[in-house]
Amino acid sequence: MERKAPMRSADPAGVEMLEIAERDRLDSVWERLEKQQPQCGYGQLGTCCRICVMGPCRIDPVGDGPTRGVCGATADTIVARNLTRMAAVGASAHSDHGRKVALTLKEVAEGTVTDYRITDTEKLTAVAAKLGIAVEGRSFPDVARDVADAALHCFGKQDDAPIAFLEAYMPAKRFERLKKLEDDLLASTGARYGLLPRGIDRESVDILHRTHFGCDADPLSLVLQSVRCSLADGWGGSLIATELQDVLFGTPRVKTVRANLGVLEEDMVNLIVHGHEPILSEKVVEHALSDEMQQRARDKGAKGINVAGLCCTGNEVLMRQGVNVAGNELHSELVIMTGAVEAMVVDVQCIYPALADLAACYHTKLITTSEQTKIPGALHIQFEEHRADAVARRIVETAIDAFEARNRGRVYIPPHSEEAVVGFSVEEILKALGGTVAPLVKVIADGAIKGVVGVVGCNNVKVRQDSFHRELTAELIARDILVIGTGCWAIAAAKAGLMQLSTREQAGPGLKAVCEQLGIPPVIHMGSCVDCSRMLVLAGALADHLGVDVDALPLVGSAPEWTTEKAVAIGTYFVGTGVPVHLWPVPPVLGSPAVTKILTEDAKGVLGGYFFVEEDPKAAADRMEAIIAEKRAGLGL
Amino acid sequence: MRKIFVDYTRCVACKGCEIACAVEHHPSRSLADLVGDGRTQVNVRVLAVEHEAFPVSCRHCDPAWCMAACPAGAISRDPVTGAVILDQARCKACGMCAMVCPFDAIAFKVTHASPGGRETAFKCDLCSHRVREGRLPACVEACHSGALAFREHEEVRRDRATRNLREYLLGERALPDTFALYRELRRKEFARRGEPAP
Repeated sequence: MERKAPMRSADPAGVEMLEIAERDRLDSVWERLEKQQPQCGYGQLGTCCRICVMGPCRIDPVGDGPTRGVCGATADTIVARNLTRMAAVGASAHSDHGRKVALTLKEVAEGTVTDYRITDTEKLTAVAAKLGIAVEGRSFPDVARDVADAALHCFGKQDDAPIAFLEAYMPAKRFERLKKLEDDLLASTGARYGLLPRGIDRESVDILHRTHFGCDADPLSLVLQSVRCSLADGWGGSLIATELQDVLFGTPRVKTVRANLGVLEEDMVNLIVHGHEPILSEKVVEHALSDEMQQRARDKGAKGINVAGLCCTGNEVLMRQGVNVAGNELHSELVIMTGAVEAMVVDVQCIYPALADLAACYHTKLITTSEQTKIPGALHIQFEEHRADAVARRIVETAIDAFEARNRGRVYIPPHSEEAVVGFSVEEILKALGGTVAPLVKVIADGAIKGVVGVVGCNNVKVRQDSFHRELTAELIARDILVIGTGCWAIAAAKAGLMQLSTREQAGPGLKAVCEQLGIPPVIHMGSCVDCSRMLVLAGALADHLGVDVDALPLVGSAPEWTTEKAVAIGTYFVGTGVPVHLWPVPPVLGSPAVTKILTEDAKGVLGGYFFVEEDPKAAADRMEAIIAEKRAGLGL
Repeated sequence: MRKIFVDYTRCVACKGCEIACAVEHHPSRSLADLVGDGRTQVNVRVLAVEHEAFPVSCRHCDPAWCMAACPAGAISRDPVTGAVILDQARCKACGMCAMVCPFDAIAFKVTHASPGGRETAFKCDLCSHRVREGRLPACVEACHSGALAFREHEEVRRDRATRNLREYLLGERALPDTFALYRELRRKEFARRGEPAP
């Protein structure tokens, strides 16, 4: 019989667990994908419109059927509206995460939340300085309140000026380019097109408005608004999340962790933190490690408590606390199938509703905590910032109490985990470089490093788990291209052992020498998916140092196993910032030749950044290398 | 006779045909009423084979294997439309029709037409009631992409031959470029899913 498992995952721990899943006939995301076949082509092409109830309308891609919806919307309009809505949802998810961090910082500063404190005053001072907030002679809480207010102002202000965080952080040439583009479009068309975000919430609401029945039907106008909304995410909501989390919980420092299911401990209470926000998981880690809780676990017959991360909550506590990571998105069911997990506590985003039924097959407690993510069948323990310690304690106690019910006969922990050097905030990268980007610019100019590729996001069950992440990353470093990134890619790279100092042996000679000199791996973990903002900040620092726009730099982005609407927002703010972005699988746009052309061709002339699709890792690396060569030639290198 | 012809290269797998068939054969003719109703009869199924999708339903053969095999005399031919009709009231659920059907187009369950709450065979009736009124079968009417056509074979053959010749002689593409690209990328996506571990 043909073995399915090796075709479903490139991760050895994943393969072992999938074989168990098959043996035990456990439902999984892979099984459900098969049951969903064939999936509707209208949806995949983007030509299904469900916006009003004169519909749903579908535009026949073959050309035999109707070419317009009931209202007259063409395939171009429908595809552009759907894509723009995806960007709005993705940007909203990131930015709403950022809002909670800003609100928490404000409450900490005002003393109404006492379970948290300002951990990184150096970062606080740096952010304040960037925003033009006075720090001299002021207390840290005073400064923090002003920083939080400045962030919250970006969400809710009503004037048309660009948001403060974007203006403070975006490289000067890029800001000027976008401003000029707005002016040029107005002058040449007489119509207003906006690219600089006015308010983080506003740009998402703008999209909800303009894609309402009977509003914007112009594909270009819709796509440009998706760029503005996404920029409000990358240089707004996500950036605020990253910067203010650093203030609250500390800026990540370089550290070594282990990655993959093998980080679970057979004799310990295993508590998985999954989702995206560190506000709760920081507390869970703190309490799980407390003497009191460790003793309580020992009283129940365990050797202690082991916290491990999953997805971006995992990345957050990995970057700051050095917590081991059990896996990325497609591991979220597999980790429960080990039978060794007492509790999985989740916050928001990328949490399969299927986890509740799966957890019910074991002693595992699935604990939801967010008002925005409740799952039928899960245990809900409501998280609130002002009683964070009490909630975290209850979660840890719930995990400990579940230990006795563990069925030892069902426990199997795949013996796979790899060491990974992680924690590369921009601050840490600059420290490795001696305080300035100049040495990085020099090695790029010398050609030791040809360029940098930032890889982000997701597993997608339609792609063999981690295969694209692994192959693309290995291809790039062998070609002397530095690979940086975040999210589920970062976990995939860590699990593959690509983030070790010894990985430099797989790198090209130039990159290898640079890694040896700086003491870094050639594959750099920059954090969670909101931490894509760290990549923007790094790109901005390079651009400002050289006095060029970002699109002149030998940088490429990639989302090679993307799944979510958040990835649409990330890809779009990279493109809006001037970075060409590779995607696989293909986004739902092919139903409109016009939108496909805007994204893959026209954007290049207008924004400098553009999308391209490539299904083969090696061919994708070829294309990236060619783009980098083109940019290097443009810089006269 | 007219038949339902399938051009699977145009099938987008939206399953609009399945929904239309289900509504047409539901006693209430209402989409809302068939939600959650396990006795709903769906006579066409879009099946996936790798990246391709194919709407499978009765081919209405003449002579029909199923009709010859049915010992209960439950299968007959509609004299007007030529459709092969299965009378669920007479069906003994022996399975002979399903066994001999070369297209696996006969299924079993308790439908609204099954007598006494027992499982019976059911299959496409070519929407004979509609066809007699000069209307199209519900599935064909629902198909937006031209994957299903209810026509005389000769018409279909001529059209296809002409289209293929236009492609061969004039270089005209039968499918728009982005749709052809979509099909190709889908094929590649599935090919990669099936790759063994290195």
